[in-house]
Amino acid sequence: MVTTTVPVTVGPARPRRGGAPGGHRGRGAHLVPGGLRWILPGFVLSVGLIYYSIGYSGYLSFFDWGGGRRAMTPVGADNYVEAFSDPVFWTAIRNTAVFFVAVFAVQVVGGVLFAAAMHSKIYLANLYKVIIVIPVVVAPATLAPAHIQVWQTDGTLNRILDAVGLDVLVQGWLGQSTTSLLVITVVGCWGSVGFGFILFYAGMAQIDPEILEAARIDGGGNLRILYSIVLPSLRPTTFSLAILNFITALKLFDTVWLITQGGPAHSSEFLGTMIYSEVAASSRNLGYASALSMILLVVAVVTSVLIQRRSRERTPVEATVARV
Amino acid sequence: MFETRTLRSRLLLQLVVTLAVVPFVIPLYAMVSRSFTGAGWGNYTAVLAVPGFARFFLNSAIVAGASVVIIYLATLMAAFGFSKLRVKRKEVLFWMMMAALTLPEVVLIAPLYATAVRLGLLGTFWSVILPIAALQIPFTVLIARGYVDGIPDTLFEAARLDGANTWRMFWNILVPLARPIAVALIILVLINAWNAYLLPKVFLIDQDMGVVTMLPEFFRRQYNDDTPKILAAAVVTALPTVIAYVSLQKHFERGMAAGAIK
Repeated sequence: MVTTTVPVTVGPARPRRGGAPGGHRGRGAHLVPGGLRWILPGFVLSVGLIYYSIGYSGYLSFFDWGGGRRAMTPVGADNYVEAFSDPVFWTAIRNTAVFFVAVFAVQVVGGVLFAAAMHSKIYLANLYKVIIVIPVVVAPATLAPAHIQVWQTDGTLNRILDAVGLDVLVQGWLGQSTTSLLVITVVGCWGSVGFGFILFYAGMAQIDPEILEAARIDGGGNLRILYSIVLPSLRPTTFSLAILNFITALKLFDTVWLITQGGPAHSSEFLGTMIYSEVAASSRNLGYASALSMILLVVAVVTSVLIQRRSRERTPVEATVARV
Repeated sequence: MFETRTLRSRLLLQLVVTLAVVPFVIPLYAMVSRSFTGAGWGNYTAVLAVPGFARFFLNSAIVAGASVVIIYLATLMAAFGFSKLRVKRKEVLFWMMMAALTLPEVVLIAPLYATAVRLGLLGTFWSVILPIAALQIPFTVLIARGYVDGIPDTLFEAARLDGANTWRMFWNILVPLARPIAVALIILVLINAWNAYLLPKVFLIDQDMGVVTMLPEFFRRQYNDDTPKILAAAVVTALPTVIAYVSLQKHFERGMAAGAIK
């Protein structure tokens, strides 16, 4: 009986304040036992480790450092200058934007349609559901060999294209800098439609059937109902997905590293792979990696706040539904 | 949601949905079918016979199990404190925690790598478990607190009047009543910890400390480019998760739907 199917409750990162049992200001407040030590373990672990890391990262970003016993050279803001003047950095930013827009669009459209279809009467609904959710629950790292098998030159996709007479399209998808980002993006869509589906499916289950019934009696068709009743009620979910997807695109690592390693010629590089290379390569520079991390952090925070603000500007859900 | 009154529209909907599922099947089908080429089941027996194979699963179980235990305890305790107990500047502390809600782990690897080297934690499971726990706790606390807020205060007051101390209230009231949310969160944490790749790759540098997500690379080294065996290994690695999902569908979906808010 978990009613965490959050879509209708809150926007991301903003829990409701106070609430009924939240603040014990009222009667008998002095009787309520103190709770600091109950909060402390989780607080120290998460806030401590995370704030420490961010602070240390900010500090390191002003040095050149190979890690361990090697010397730390203070370099001022050079790491940031280097990042902003590095064409690979801008490729990564562009890739992040492309990946985000494409995956988000496919996830929302695909997720809504699958969710609506599975709330209707269709055969094999559960089998279909399992198939589109498997890419979400199985680790991207585990599935990477399957994607390589699909996209490599003598792989499944080229064979399908050959079989249906589209052999002009047959090409080495993974080895070309023009198609590597396409592969990563399609793989990203493949792995995220199921997640959108689960959220939208849960969101749709919360729509009052009576409203749908009323709309039908008033002569509303399937598409009209989808557009005027269902979609407006899924707005909060969609904004949550936007933030999640943006962060995913910024930090993208697993799939990229295992399928293209950010190549060829850095054409499918993301901030995640750039930072990893700087930390793990033998020519590591933890200072540069830290500078990239700080940039990533700032972009992530600013964008999340912007998306969130936008999610609250529009008309509230209830008002939209009532107007139909 | 879609109402299909006529047989024609019903068939049309069925056809459209079926076609839409096809692209999702292709990689899965490619993986399974290619894994049988050449030696057939022999690929699988060869993979399972590789020494150290089981070790990857054991390591993943250690990482995921420890993360779950730490997160479960820390989360329920914090939710209890934030929701039902008296804490000075409660909301300030809460917001400090929530500020880290959407933090991507990649931001932490450079400073944590430097720290782990200095403290000699590199190549220990703690270097992976602690960051995983730290990154998930803000989110699990947010969800759990929302749930615990919904448990009536009167239950706890009655218990206190009956002479129960805070520990008793926690174990005998909160823990049992919070079970539904705890199950959802545990599954979510399990998926995330089991599927973690970046943190183990950076911190578990020892050969025999690999986790399941590092198996593809392990087998690529092992077999060079023997694709069927690499794919057989991927199938074997994916199987436990798939079985867990299919048999616990409801719980998985609840856990992930809770993740929407993150």
